[in-house]
Amino acid sequence: MAANPPPVRPPQNRGRGRPTTRESAGASLGAVLNLIRSGQATTRQELERESELGRAVVADRVATLADIGLIAESELGPATGGRAPRLLQFRKDLGCMLTATLDHSEIGVGIANLSGELFAEHHEAHDAGADARSMSQRILTLFDWMIAKHAPAMPVWGIGVSVPGPVVDGGDLPFMARTPSFLPAWDDIPLLELLFDRFAAPVWLRSSIETMTMGERFAGAGKALDSMLFVKVGQRIEAGLVCEGRLYRGAQGAAGLIGQMPVQAGDRGSTLDALAGSDMIASEGLAAAKSGKSPILGETLRRSGDVGAVDVSQAAQSGDPASIEILARSGRLVGRSVAMLANMLNPRLIVLSGTMAQTNDLLLAAVREIVYGESHPLVTRDLVIAKSQMGSSAGLVGAAMVVVESLFDPACLKDWVILGTPLAHPKFLSLRTSCKSLLADFAARQDQPDGAPEIASATRYSP
Amino acid sequence: MSISGLGPHGERAASPDRVALSPDDIASARAAQFRVAIALHTAISDWSEQQIAGIMSIFGDCGITVTEVVECNFAPHAQIQLLDRLREEKPDAIISIPVANAKVADAYRRVSRAGIRLLLLDNVPTGLLPGSDYATLVSADNFGLGAIGASLLAERIAKGGAVGVLAYDSEFFVTNEREIAFEKWMRANRPDIRMFVRKFDTIEAAGQDALALIAAQPELSGLFVVWDTPALRVVDALKQAGHSLPITTVDLGRETAAELASGGMICGIGAQQPYLQGKAVSQACVLALLGKQTPDWIALPGVAVSRENIAASLLALSGAMLDHENRR
Repeated sequence: MAANPPPVRPPQNRGRGRPTTRESAGASLGAVLNLIRSGQATTRQELERESELGRAVVADRVATLADIGLIAESELGPATGGRAPRLLQFRKDLGCMLTATLDHSEIGVGIANLSGELFAEHHEAHDAGADARSMSQRILTLFDWMIAKHAPAMPVWGIGVSVPGPVVDGGDLPFMARTPSFLPAWDDIPLLELLFDRFAAPVWLRSSIETMTMGERFAGAGKALDSMLFVKVGQRIEAGLVCEGRLYRGAQGAAGLIGQMPVQAGDRGSTLDALAGSDMIASEGLAAAKSGKSPILGETLRRSGDVGAVDVSQAAQSGDPASIEILARSGRLVGRSVAMLANMLNPRLIVLSGTMAQTNDLLLAAVREIVYGESHPLVTRDLVIAKSQMGSSAGLVGAAMVVVESLFDPACLKDWVILGTPLAHPKFLSLRTSCKSLLADFAARQDQPDGAPEIASATRYSP
Repeated sequence: MSISGLGPHGERAASPDRVALSPDDIASARAAQFRVAIALHTAISDWSEQQIAGIMSIFGDCGITVTEVVECNFAPHAQIQLLDRLREEKPDAIISIPVANAKVADAYRRVSRAGIRLLLLDNVPTGLLPGSDYATLVSADNFGLGAIGASLLAERIAKGGAVGVLAYDSEFFVTNEREIAFEKWMRANRPDIRMFVRKFDTIEAAGQDALALIAAQPELSGLFVVWDTPALRVVDALKQAGHSLPITTVDLGRETAAELASGGMICGIGAQQPYLQGKAVSQACVLALLGKQTPDWIALPGVAVSRENIAASLLALSGAMLDHENRR
């Protein structure tokens, strides 16, 4: 495990003469670092070729990055005629990143290295009656546990949080400055500021569909594919689109809300969410249990007093005809909407995810039937439709990748690369001050004069 | 009993009923004459013995040959070597409990890429995914077991008391779940109790770590140890040092049961059902080898065992095994 990054050495303004590399070369240092980090170039020769910089400049940038501590020259690579080159590696264990997923029914937390590779994760269901405040507290507690267990000596470079609603792009680059509105129930909780204050690291929030799509793109079935449609079927039905290798967010960060599309089921017309989402599946399941149409769900109702969408899904998997019909109906409606998107976007891969897709294969079968039947032959010629194997891990990986992409975006990177850590970025340092004042306002509103919101207090739990 | 935890990737638990074998499945497996290897963390625990007994009971019915049962004594490097050797021997499937996470991930990936079906017990190495890398994970509801450990210990702790948690210093899904659930239950139900954690990295070290924790926090009035074998080491160390504290743990091994029944320091146990877990993983293995779908995560509920119900619990847990043996 790596030690802390070397001490930050601010650029020296010598006042006269030519500026040093440290003062002037942020952009090219960032470009070289990103080539090494992404694996596009791992030797000096490859760097010269990929960056189109001269040999002397590459040598200088590599020496500077090594001096700062961001890269290491380690083992020898394969020789291509002369002396074997030394391989350059990004030091991905200089710090860590925390990630969290907030869903309607569960919380997930993870810890990743600076390449976004998770090295631990944990998922748990919400307690009955949990509100936004208690969920925030739980995330803080679990992050504390993750750090104590896995990275007690590592600085946190960034935090990515996946939330159950679209996150409007506020344009506050390079760091998110305040908690955006994503669900009414969370409007009073300064989630970003609390995390920012507790862990002294920049925080990014993204919608769950965006983070799951990113996760599937980088670590799941979509790895190495440049076009993918990711469809999540749960209480809401949403889609994420990877186009030419990049996530498409839309003008407001709200792309993919396909659950709002109007659909028709027999004589009923409503939104896709209402007619095919897990709320519908649960209510139809309850009706089947009460009417005696489904003996399995009837037994579930007797035992637990309720029937949920997961119960219907599991009953269908066990062969319950009524549950199979409910899920098939949902799958056909989802399939029609997905077929329309497939015809328009011509993706290489469609991935189904969400609780309904994860616990049952009927949904996948119904979507396949409709998409293959209702799409242009060229669209389906090489199209693969698969179930996500990543489950909720996709959101955690994707949230980590959001942080990676933000920290190493050239516009952000050029201002911190010379300092060795994004935590020394001037804009981040000024945000810390404004965050303190926002939290103080929040505490005052909550009638907690000490500035420490109730949700930041915790039972003593020392590692 | 319901399952309170989620799987390593947030999966909802599937019941073992989902992998029940039909007569056709058994006949197909018999005809195929599959060969399966078992790679465990240790073979010298009651948990391992019962798991193996459960596995053998199903494999015996299905005519499956267990080529060998190997163990690595919790050492990741040894497990990597064992897996590489087993891979060369090309069994149809390997049932295994990974003893670490990132350290052993590549070795498990190599097994999977060699076309050998992988069935996991209790832990999933970093980055491995169900379906593509392994068929199924089978475990107890370890989140529930941690909560059982907390509730049984809390009964013995006075208001405002302090407890110690002896956690395992390794990236291990099931022990992490127990530790997190213990802490969560305490915060929710006994917020007056203060908690102090110390990690042990080997079973042998658990006793000394317990003594160090008590020396650092003399006000401790109870301990939770994340599984039974190190808990017994803790009991020994405390006895030798002249301490006596109520201890709860997970797994109902013979020695732990005796300590509980005889009024020793162990006052409560969250018991797994290892025999039934063994049956579930072997059934999932048969289905995976026959090319059928298997759930990502199968979990069995834990059982709260105290001094008052130890006899009944032992009967119930061993009864499952005896019932099956009698039927055979």
